[in-house]
Amino acid sequence: MEALALIQAYTGVGIGLIIGLGAAGACIGIGIMCASFLEGAARQPEMIPALQGKVFLLLGLIDASFIIGVGLAMMFAFANPLLSVVAK
Amino acid sequence: MSGQENPAAGVSLYRNMLRWQVMATMAVTLLAYAAAGLPAALSAFMGGVSVVVGAWFATKIAEKGRSKTDPTAVLLNLLKAEAVKILIIAIILFVVFKLYQALVPFALIAGLAAAALFSGAALAKSQANV
Repeated sequence: MEALALIQAYTGVGIGLIIGLGAAGACIGIGIMCASFLEGAARQPEMIPALQGKVFLLLGLIDASFIIGVGLAMMFAFANPLLSVVAK
Repeated sequence: MSGQENPAAGVSLYRNMLRWQVMATMAVTLLAYAAAGLPAALSAFMGGVSVVVGAWFATKIAEKGRSKTDPTAVLLNLLKAEAVKILIIAIILFVVFKLYQALVPFALIAGLAAAALFSGAALAKSQANV
């Protein structure tokens, strides 16, 4: 029983770290990219349509790690594979 | 490089991204089916579909703002699209985890990761267009 509670507690901490660090990394990346986009748009406004699609694709790529992290966190929250060790 | 990009090229860029995501999802689904059977294939499919549906909604929002010329408005529109995408993916994943009893979590994560990462492959097409 105590092992179960420990696993659940540490899993909760792990989920928080996965989501929190993933969100922090994605936010830093998006911040850098958005700053570069605004700088580029200020220098050459005629490039805005050309840059728009690329910014959208790169937003998706930067967020990919966060999205995968959310999936992993949900896996640990709803279908924790570590709990099966205790069940045995 | 002309600096001006045909707006239709941007739309095809979004479609190309969705096409790559669908292909990645199908590939992982087939692999999961070959490796671990139908429940794994369905799990991988649901993981990929969550990203594809989110990206589709995000694409619709991003396409709406293509005519904007103010960089701040363009950026806000793209960030809004991304936020909607993440929200939709999280909701679909939550529903799948809650409702699908025979879920194979690793297959779902594989489908999700493949679809999310392969969206960047559309950048190659973008280079060809500019």
